Amino acid sequence: MARDPIVKRLSCAACPLLRAGLAAFALGPVFIPFPALTQVLAQLHVRTFTLSSDRYALHVGEQLHLTIVVHVDERIGQLDNVTLPDLSGFDVYGDERRCARARRGGTDCTEVVLIAPKETGDRTIDPVTLDAVDARNHRPSRFASNRVTLHVTGEPFSATDAARQVSHVALDTLVVLGAAAIPFVLGLLLLRATRRRPASPPPVAAPPAPSPLVRPVDPLLRLVVSLRDEPGRARVLAVRDELRRRVGARDEETLGDLEARDAARNKPALGDALRAIEYAAFVEEARLVDAVREALPALERLVAAADPVGAAP
Amino acid sequence: MTVTQQIAPRPADLLEALRATIVGQRAVLDALVHALIAGGHIVLEGPPGLAKTLACRALASAVGGTFKRVQFTPDLLPSDIVGTRIFDQRSGDFTTSFGPIFANMVLADEINRAPAKVQSALLEAMQEGQVTIGPHTFSLPDPFVVTATMNPLDSEGTYALPLAQLDRFLVKVLVDYPTRDEELRILERFGGEPPAMPRDVVGIGDVVRWRGDARAIYVEPRLSAYAVQLVAATRAAHDYIDRGASPRATLALVALARARALVEGRTFVVPDDVRAGAAPVLRHRVALNYRALAERVDPEEIVASIIAGVPTP
Repeated sequence: MARDPIVKRLSCAACPLLRAGLAAFALGPVFIPFPALTQVLAQLHVRTFTLSSDRYALHVGEQLHLTIVVHVDERIGQLDNVTLPDLSGFDVYGDERRCARARRGGTDCTEVVLIAPKETGDRTIDPVTLDAVDARNHRPSRFASNRVTLHVTGEPFSATDAARQVSHVALDTLVVLGAAAIPFVLGLLLLRATRRRPASPPPVAAPPAPSPLVRPVDPLLRLVVSLRDEPGRARVLAVRDELRRRVGARDEETLGDLEARDAARNKPALGDALRAIEYAAFVEEARLVDAVREALPALERLVAAADPVGAAP
Repeated sequence: MTVTQQIAPRPADLLEALRATIVGQRAVLDALVHALIAGGHIVLEGPPGLAKTLACRALASAVGGTFKRVQFTPDLLPSDIVGTRIFDQRSGDFTTSFGPIFANMVLADEINRAPAKVQSALLEAMQEGQVTIGPHTFSLPDPFVVTATMNPLDSEGTYALPLAQLDRFLVKVLVDYPTRDEELRILERFGGEPPAMPRDVVGIGDVVRWRGDARAIYVEPRLSAYAVQLVAATRAAHDYIDRGASPRATLALVALARARALVEGRTFVVPDDVRAGAAPVLRHRVALNYRALAERVDPEEIVASIIAGVPTP
């Protein structure tokens, strides 16, 4: 890259600071986020804007991934003006942002924040907001995601939890090994096929190995199991939050709105589960356990469905 | 020996009977029954010929209480509503002649055609539940429900109800034109002989009992907060709103939500119950400013946007 002519002319040894300052000024518009530019709101069709966690019941200090997903109709390289809620009750370890073109058109932007709660109790994470010009009415708007409630306990892992986690780890390890074996087996098969047919076209490169990430256990399953083990309002709310997230419920939408959607109408298991968990979330305390007992079959049917709605991201 | 068990009628039975008489207009019928249970008065607004009066008559007939209808005209006097004292020449004393307001169900047809002093006489009775005629104060029957109708089209020769008086109506329901299918069914049902009214489907005692049941319906604290937020949102700074709704609206909203839960056979309120009552409770309690009137802004849109801006619990 050619040096900036202004910097080139400054050759005195006594002014490196000035030189650096001028360089920054000259290159600023390219590399430094310019405040005036970020104030210009992008015009976007925001289709979905969700906030979710990979776990809703956890212990103090236990890490969780907070995932923010925004889908817009436009093709964009990055999403500006996203404001995270106050995370003062959490240790924040870092975050990662990326935007990719979506198969259905438009762009999917995802931000994953790694945090850990510092205090016990029900911790509600407020909605993430996005400032943009709404392409539907051309007005500057503030879009907001749903909020998420976490049930944080202080007690250490119980023997059952530990055993369950061990079994999950074992299951996940098997999944990873299996996934890693697939390209190897495919490669072998391809090699054999090419040997049998020497006149065939040049061999196709083997598909890239899947990312060595541990496949997460379906959070809904985990939450339902947790609710079955210990029925309580916070766990009911955690299941409800997860279900609402999966159907892409907006903050202002009620059960009636969700039931009117095609997803719920075409999948009776989903409609039943949404209704049952809604009732359990607002029933009087004395009838909570009964309401959970009534809700569990519907939730289990949903989890067991071959194509559970909004499969884990 | 055969034991006959009397099954107490449910609110849903009343609703079903009304639906069997009135074609369509579900929102109107729901609001009538909900307001009856919530112990409030109703104002229906819609063009002529949309079964406003018929719906009120059907409700009165189905409930089996006393019913009176008053056609409001510009020359109506307060005594025509509440009653008066008449000198009896034979006994040489004054006797009280009770007005049509002494009934369980009073239909105030075209309430905005009478001058303010007549409206005040009625609305005072609605608020106090009692009427003073001469030196004596008389309690109105229990339940006492006023159903008023208004025609928004012919504004000439009408007296608009002040906001303070409209506030005494629990709900304001907009009556809209039926769909084509509904209109065909209206033709089938009402084309020949006059329609049969539902008679004594429930008793006055049942209504009193339902009111007690509704008061015992559980409202989760987050839902109470949601109701407060909805009403408070009308008081936030807004381009088109002069004054927002009062705490009476909050009370009305929760009472209506409880009634809806009871009709649906639940012992607890869900967010849908609160939100379903928001527009009928708020639309006549929000005072638009001159700018809104000058720009001919649809008040329904404003109320709808306020409701949509409040996240559900």
